This record gives sequence, C-alpha cells and structure tokens, in this order.
Amino acid sequence: MDLVALQSWLDNASFAVLFTTMLIYWGSAAFPTIPYLSTLGTTGMAIANLCIAALLSARWIEAGYFPLSNLYESLFFIAWGITAIHFLAENMSRSRLVGVFTAPVTMAIAAFAALSLPTEMQSAEPLVPALKSNWLMMHVSVMLLSYAALMVGSLLAIAFLIVTRGQNIELKGSSVGTGGFRNGRYRPLQAEEPSTPIELAAATEPLIDHSGTGKTAVLDPVAVATVEKVSTQAKAELLSPQRLNLADTLDNISYRIIGLGFPLLTIGIIAGAVWANEAWGSYWSWDPKETWALITWLVFAAYLHARITRGWQGRRPALLAASGFVVVWICYLGVNLLGKGLHSYGWFF
Amino acid sequence: MTSDTPSDKLSLLWKVPQRYFQQDLLPLLADLRLAIALLLTIALFSISGTVLEQGQSTAFYQANYPEDPALFGFLTWKAILMLGLDHVYRTWWFLALLILFGSSLTACTFTRQFPALGAAKNWKFYDQSRQFQKLALSAELDNGSLDQLTPLLQQKNYRIFRDGNKLYARKGITGRIGPIVVHAAMLIILAGAILGAMTGFFAQEMVPSGQTFQIHNIFDAGPWAKSQIPTDWSVRVNRFWIDYTSEGRIDQFYSDLSVLDTQGQELQRKTIHVNEPLRHKGVTLYQADWAIAAVRFRINNSPMLQLPMSQLATEGNGRLWGTWIPTKPDLSAGVSLIAKDLQGMLLIYDMEGKLVSTVREGMSTEVNGVTLAIAEVIGSTGLQIKADPGIPLVYTGFGLLMLGVVMSYVSHSQVWALEESDRNPPDSSTPRFYVGGRTNRAQVTFERELLEILDRLSQAESVAPSVATVTELSSVS
Repeated sequence: MDLVALQSWLDNASFAVLFTTMLIYWGSAAFPTIPYLSTLGTTGMAIANLCIAALLSARWIEAGYFPLSNLYESLFFIAWGITAIHFLAENMSRSRLVGVFTAPVTMAIAAFAALSLPTEMQSAEPLVPALKSNWLMMHVSVMLLSYAALMVGSLLAIAFLIVTRGQNIELKGSSVGTGGFRNGRYRPLQAEEPSTPIELAAATEPLIDHSGTGKTAVLDPVAVATVEKVSTQAKAELLSPQRLNLADTLDNISYRIIGLGFPLLTIGIIAGAVWANEAWGSYWSWDPKETWALITWLVFAAYLHARITRGWQGRRPALLAASGFVVVWICYLGVNLLGKGLHSYGWFF
Repeated sequence: MTSDTPSDKLSLLWKVPQRYFQQDLLPLLADLRLAIALLLTIALFSISGTVLEQGQSTAFYQANYPEDPALFGFLTWKAILMLGLDHVYRTWWFLALLILFGSSLTACTFTRQFPALGAAKNWKFYDQSRQFQKLALSAELDNGSLDQLTPLLQQKNYRIFRDGNKLYARKGITGRIGPIVVHAAMLIILAGAILGAMTGFFAQEMVPSGQTFQIHNIFDAGPWAKSQIPTDWSVRVNRFWIDYTSEGRIDQFYSDLSVLDTQGQELQRKTIHVNEPLRHKGVTLYQADWAIAAVRFRINNSPMLQLPMSQLATEGNGRLWGTWIPTKPDLSAGVSLIAKDLQGMLLIYDMEGKLVSTVREGMSTEVNGVTLAIAEVIGSTGLQIKADPGIPLVYTGFGLLMLGVVMSYVSHSQVWALEESDRNPPDSSTPRFYVGGRTNRAQVTFERELLEILDRLSQAESVAPSVATVTELSSVS
C-alpha cells in the first residue's frame, strides 16, 4: 500500500467532507424543519474525524514517530482534536448549533493544511535531535488537544454572544454555584393546562432578567408583588423544575469545554516545562512560545474567575472567552511569525 | 486594671496594623476583580516581552527604536531601557506583580475557598417545603418516596445521608477542594522559583574532546549560589561526536563524560546527548552546543601536528570553521582548511582563495608540492551546566497543580429530598414528596441527571394523576 498517496488522498477527502459538513450544519440551522439534517451533519463530522485519524495513523506508520513534528501534522492533529471535542460538546448540549461554529473552523484548518501548504512541507521529515524524546508525544499532543478544547469552548462563547446579543444575562454554572437558584422565587407549571414541550420551553424562559441580579429583582416592589402572586397561585400548583434555555445551555457547555481545556493546557505546559528541564536544564526560559502559552493560561484563568465574580456575570466572561479564541491562535501560530526560540522547528515562518 | 500599662499600649499599637490588615488590606487582596486584573496585567506585560527583543545590547535598541520618529509616539530606546522593557521578566515591577499575585492567591484561599469548602461540608437537611422553592431544579411529586429515591441516587454515585423523612445527597466534593490545591500549588511553584533564583547557577563550557575542565564560566548565579558551585570535582570529555543520517542531517550529538575527583579518580561515567543529561551532586550537565576545536595532521613525514580551528564570520549563513596550514617552513606559503561539520570532509583553499582540493579525515592530498594528511578533526562539546535547588519544590508544585486543575473540573452536586407526611395535600390522598438539587459547574449535565431521576421516580409508581407533568418535562430534554 502506498502510504504517501493514501495520505494525500485522505487530506483532500477530509477537507471535502468537512466542507460538506459545514454546509449541512448551516443548512440545518437555517431550516430547522428539514429532518435528518443535523444527524447528517454529525455523520459528516464523524467521517471527517475518521479520515484525519487514518491520515495521522498512515503518517505514523510511514515516518515511524508520532506525527507531531511539523506544521502540516500539527494542523491535522488540531483539526482532529476539534472534531473530537465537537462530539463531546454536541453530546453534552444536544444542540446542532455547535456544528455551525466548529465545522467552518475545522474546514478552514484542513483547507490550509491540505491546499495552501507547499508540498515539501506536507511530507514527513526526520526529527531534529531536540525532538527525539518521549516527551514530544506527551507535551505536544496534550497542548494541541487543549488548544482544540479551548477553541471549541471559545466558539461556543461566541455562539452564546450571538444568541444573546442585546440582552442582559444572569449566568448559571460557576464554581460558587450562583446558578442553582431560581430567578424570582419560582414559576410553577400550570398543572391543569395541557402543556406541550414548546409551551413549556416558553414558560420556562425567565433567563432574561432585565432588572439585574435576582436579589435586586426581589427588592423591587413590583417584582415582590408578582412573586407573591405567583406563590399564592402555587399553593394549588405543583412545584416543577425551571429548565435551562438555549443561551444557558450554550454558556454552560462553553464553560465546561473550557473547563476541560484548562487542565489539559496546564498539564501540557507542565509537561513542556519538565521536558525543558530534563533536556536543557531550565523549566522556564520565557521563550516566546511558552510565554504565550502562559498568556493563554492567564486569560482563561481570568475567564474562570470572572464567572464567579459578582457584578461580572453575564456577557462579560463570554467576551473574555471569545477573545481567548484569538489568544489561542496567536499562541499556536502567531508566535512562530516571530521566528525565535525553541519552538521554531519544522515550521516555515 | 488601668489602660496605661505599657503592655496595653503595645497591644493597642499592634491593633492598628492588625485592623488595617483585616478590614482593608485582606478584603482588597481577596477581591476577585483584583485577581482578574492581576492575571490580565501579568498577561499584558508578558506580551510586551514577546514583542520587544529581550536581552540585547544598548546599541541594538538605539538602532531599532530611535528617538525620532518614536514607535507609537513613545517607544524610544530610552523609554525601553528606563522601564526595563529589555528584560521584562526580571524587572522589579514584574516581580512585584508576581508577589502581589501570590499574596492575592493566599488571601483568596483563606477568605473564600476554605469558607466555601466549609459550607459544602456543613450541609443541612431541608425540612421545609419552601426551602425547595428557591432551587431552580426542584419538583413536588404526588408519589415517590425516599426509599425509591435512594437507589436512583446511589446509581449516580451520590453519597447519601438520611434522617427520617429528610434526605441529602452529594457528589463531587473534590470540585471544592481542587481550587484550593491549585492555589497552594501556585504558591509552591512561586516559592520554588524564588529559591532557585537565589541559590542556583547557570554555566556554559565549550570543551574539546579529551580535555578536563572545572566549572568556571558561570553566566548567571543567585546571591546565595556559592555553595552550589562544585570545587571538589571536575569533568573529562572522553569523546564528543555527532551521528549523521544517511542524508547528512544531524541525527544526535553525544558526549562521553567522566566525573573525576581531585585525585583524578573516575567517580561516574556517562554518555550524554540532547534529552539525556548527566547529574552529579545536584549539578546537571546538558548537551547544548558543539563546535570544531582543532585539526590533527601531518605534512610529508612530519610528526603529528595540531592547529586550533576557529569559527568564521558567515553573517548567519551556517557555521564554518577554518585554520591556516603553512606549507613552507618560513610560513611564506600555505593553505586554508575549512570544515563545516564533523563528517570529516575538509575544503582546501589556496592563497588566492581558490578551492584547490578536498580531503577526508584519514586521507591525504597533494597541495603546494607537499603531502597533507588529515588525521582527525577534533570537535568540542558545548555543555550547559546548572544547579537549581528549587527543583524539588517546583516539581511538587507541578504535581499538585496538575492534580488540582483536574479535581477542579468535577462539579459539586447536591440533592435534597423531603417526604411530607403531616400536611394536608389538596387531594389528601398521598403525602407530597419534594426533590430538588443544584450543582456548581455542570448545569446542563446535572439538569439531565435530575430530570431523569424525577422521571424514574414518577414512572416507578404510576398511580398518581400528576405524573404526566413530570414525564412531559423529561421529554423536552
């Protein structure tokens, strides 16, 4: 079997599949009534994921080392990572909106790697001495997976910002747990009335809290009056769960995926630091790449803290997460434009 | 007792800073907005260090950042040197920022994280139905009981506490401990870094094959590093060589090193390469660089001669080493010998700079009427040497940090339930059953989990009329 020909077929195939998948996801968001479109999108993503996995495996067999030594390989690895994290996010949120954002980014990465990169940069090259270490696999794969997770998380934050544009949002889900409580006292279901799922979703929509925090809403005399009215009504009605809506879900899944990327980033940076210490005697040397990894870490640490800060909830943490998308890209590619430091192996800049 | 005793005055004097610390400084340090501002400020200053060239000469900044026109109107070489932007990560203000960050971490741990963990541990049963009303995810069921709920929660790995008609269940308390571990780990890493900076040293040595050296060329040492610098042992470079691939690319650098005591006795021997250093008494020697040191040769029937080779200025176009070999006894004529690597190929140039011949290691050639036989090209190994007593501390911090961030992913979920028996429900047929819960991170997953539990509770005993409500709810998910 000709592994090189197989690879060039697979990289073009994964680009084509991702392009189609992107169109399907966009179609399913534009025309939600068409059946099976989102299933088709998920299938496309799965095919792309398998194509890239096969591509990287072929490269691994051909070159004899874990394929993470040059730009082409790392781009496909990150594309694979995004498709993998996409499944996690889609499964957690059960929203087809995830693919609307992840598919174009993955498609762009695959297009850049398969079509824009010159052929000599796509071929496998022997490893330079500094990269001949088991730490390569550990450090680089974890870093790239963390970039993939952080990118998906940031994309969901962007999705959240788009869905909630022009609204004032009370966030759910943060490590102090401010989100576990009802907005107002509680909104009981009209148990007597037949409630269809759609009506139910509309009834449990009190996400938009124009008066700010739940606390101030209660202090507001009008709000107190409604709450009291509601609770007197409730005597005859059943207490029922207040459901999360689309914006809540997007926000929380974004938070969870970033929450997954953050430990990966931490482990990746530490693996790199330990490798650097074992290989050339310094665990931290303020090399531009590692400094930018630290900057990424600091920005997402700020995001995680912003979520638990009173008065900072709502769209502000999401803005921070969305800007994290840019920071991750600078860290991943932009730093290499500087062309300095230890991480300039196998890159064309 | 009067308030005039000296000890009272002293304690009063002590109370002022104590009160200032507790009422003003501590809340400020523990303020999350300060923490966020610090994180972003450190990020911002770190960026400046990656954009501006670090550690260059004054002349470099003068050439690249002239006073007129100033970059962005203010970024002149004078401004850069005055603010220390040529060595951002070692300026007093960057280090002060890190210390402030450490203080903020400590303050946050004690004023926020420990109380939050304490609150999570000191949970309470809910014994009033109104307590369920404030929870977003709570329901009032006509049927269901604690006995039915318990196995469902057990299946989901909850730890269950029961007291009569009240139930509390929780899981993921690790998610409350994780952030504390993260903060502690950050402090340990900072402490280790400070210890290393104070007591460690860095050195570089370029040593030709066959020579013995002591560590002298120290280019960076902390104020208390004296005792770390070894004086009672030296290192002999038995051999340095490079393995090349069949295409002529460097495969790996190797140095065969022996550690010798003061009598010249071998204490340790190891062949090091990139990614495989030698460690001796807290000092580590890394393979970092290489050069060509000398060439050994014969002219006609002369004894073996050795001349040093020095690196030529190529203006960044690869590395070349050269030497000049006289071919006449009065030094009036000679050839230049050029090498670019240790693969054994040497280029011979005449006095006019014309390439006249090439010769391989172990071979000979005729130049200027003499036979030049090259015996050996001697390489020198570039070693990076360091001692960092802060490493054990830093590695401990690394381990804890990884553990802490993974723990912090876990969501702390709590479920309360109450069987009401002493009240009059509207239909007065069955006592009401309240279930509610909340979690701090994974809202979406928890909602799904709790709705599934409510669903199964109502399916278990489908006699009551209001079951439909709950089944309908879960069908939305």
